[in-house]
Amino acid sequence: MVLDLDACIESLFQRQLLAESVIKEICEKTKELLMSESNVVHIKAPVTVVGDIHGQFYDLLEIFKIGGYCPDTNYLFLGDYVDRGLYSVETISILTCLKLRYPDRVQLVRGNHESRAVTSTYGFYTECMKKYGTSDVWHYFTDLFDYLTLSVVIDNMIFCVHGGLSPSIHTIDQIKVIDRFKEIPHEGPMADLVWSDPDPGREEFAVSPRGAGYTFGSMVVEKFLHENRMDHILRAHQLCMEGFQVLFDDQLSTVWSAPNYCYRCGNLASILEIGVEGERHFNVFEAAPENERPTPAEAQRTLFSNGVPQSLFSNGGGGSNGAGVGGGPNGAMTFAGASGSNGGIDPAQDTIHYFL
Amino acid sequence: MTDGINHHREGLTTSHHDWSMLQVGKLLENQPIVIISVEDASEVLLKNGVSSAPIYDSGRKMFIGMFDYSDLMTYILLVLKKMEVPLEDQTMEMRDLIQKTNHSQNVPVKLVSDLSGNDPFCTVLAETKLGAVVNDFGTGIHRVAVMDSQGNMTGVLTQSLTLDYLMRHLSEFPQLQPVMQKGLQQLGLTGIKVLSVTGETQVLEALIIMSTNGVSSLAVVNDQGVLLGNISMADVQYIMKDLRTSWLWLSCFQFVSKVRLSRGVETGEDQYPVLDVNAKSTFGYTLSKLQATKVHRLWIINDTNHVVGVVSLTDVFKVLSGYIDS
Repeated sequence: MVLDLDACIESLFQRQLLAESVIKEICEKTKELLMSESNVVHIKAPVTVVGDIHGQFYDLLEIFKIGGYCPDTNYLFLGDYVDRGLYSVETISILTCLKLRYPDRVQLVRGNHESRAVTSTYGFYTECMKKYGTSDVWHYFTDLFDYLTLSVVIDNMIFCVHGGLSPSIHTIDQIKVIDRFKEIPHEGPMADLVWSDPDPGREEFAVSPRGAGYTFGSMVVEKFLHENRMDHILRAHQLCMEGFQVLFDDQLSTVWSAPNYCYRCGNLASILEIGVEGERHFNVFEAAPENERPTPAEAQRTLFSNGVPQSLFSNGGGGSNGAGVGGGPNGAMTFAGASGSNGGIDPAQDTIHYFL
Repeated sequence: MTDGINHHREGLTTSHHDWSMLQVGKLLENQPIVIISVEDASEVLLKNGVSSAPIYDSGRKMFIGMFDYSDLMTYILLVLKKMEVPLEDQTMEMRDLIQKTNHSQNVPVKLVSDLSGNDPFCTVLAETKLGAVVNDFGTGIHRVAVMDSQGNMTGVLTQSLTLDYLMRHLSEFPQLQPVMQKGLQQLGLTGIKVLSVTGETQVLEALIIMSTNGVSSLAVVNDQGVLLGNISMADVQYIMKDLRTSWLWLSCFQFVSKVRLSRGVETGEDQYPVLDVNAKSTFGYTLSKLQATKVHRLWIINDTNHVVGVVSLTDVFKVLSGYIDS
């Protein structure tokens, strides 16, 4: 099959799902590409750094509107692409395509949610089952996650990782020798890099309340930066109400890119724009406007893998609540009518197509 | 070292003292007491983030018992007629409770207090030595109510609180260093069969298994026996919240997922799916993890993620009570 990446990307921007066979091939090709990446990828500024997205596809589109589209803007994504939000599949699909299309302009770091154990219960697995009918797509993506790099260094000055530091890692070279091509272990340096959190109230390491990784304090940060001759640690992993947080006298920042997290936290989000001279600017933004996104009910529509979309709304919104759809373990979903509370979107027109 | 008087001294002491000789009143400094009237009990537990509370009868002006999730669970099972208590074992309160539930009347919490029969209301004086209480903790008592000499309750000393105190002041108790270095296998905590359910088991079924076997938690495993998660009696709080009784009929896997999703949003931080510790870990590391994650037990796993034991707070205190110089 000849893969037309530009066409795939175009459809994904329209929130059209790719066919399962296309996903399989994209994942295969991206794994080949990632295999040759080190556990520590070195890049140069300018670059825009993005924190947790968690399946909030419309907010990812907002990020491209604010930060610029690929390949005009270089992007570094710090992980947690899936789970919790309603569009994890669309989000990871488009990011994978962009990486494959512009490998030197897009960097994807592994987050703690890029894991089979976590995605089984935090939403991605369920979403794959709902949108494709089988777990194959979940398998393709979680196999791909095993290949994602663990960290990125910008201009030899800024160390970027999803979670944080590890008591087993003092130098960058120690990260390079980790065997990363596997499911994230429960313990050890690889787990620590994706699970750890800074603790401004401490100086040293302590066991993390999350049950994996550690919390680390000011002395740990200073020592790491000094030993590796760098001046800043950039990470994500923790919700920030203001969209970002700067700690330890500007030696560490957290960037968080999922506004109104889980569609209810009411927080701001940000992307960090790093200029050619290394200047850092947090570009803060709010959730994408309400009337550009469909209701949760529409997002839960099921599709069959033979490519025939199941239309659940007849014209005029005649289908009443329930009818056995969308009432899965995620609780009762109420269906909006064709007019009124959903901000004017006509569900009968907004069908989801397969790209074959 | 100890002269029987509780010196209220701030900061670290440089002299060593025997941890088991600490007066329990000292561990409760600055603890606010949650006192509830006979209604709205589980709402209060939830709001205050505690797993138990003493019950105060404002009519009789005295503390009459404890209310915790174990009692709540027993109550739910009785209401759903999933539990039979033979007539001769029923207390008057229990008969009253059963009668009220049969007639769908509102049940005052005093009838549910100490219902499970586990963890009865125990009181100790503030001057009691910690060593004595630790012995009790090692037998399965999860908390004791601490009284002053006038019979007023000054607070509730729990296993969790005690662990937290010991870990924060560990440098003051060098006699605990040797046990901290010991491995879990050495301490006999591994190689034990633990009760588990598969992810497909219904939550209600899991609660019945816990109740029947007198355990407060079950490992949730997949069909290869690999640990996926945990279901415990305290999870009952998520069912009581907004009275989501339909959750009782979910599979354990679905239930665990829902609980994780809601907890992560509240704290803005997701927790690791399973709270476990490798069999090769030291006792000290295990205690740090118990303290940090604030859970009441950690499953012990081997290198293939199969459960080979469990270390609960009760187990911790059983071990520690062996290190008290008598």
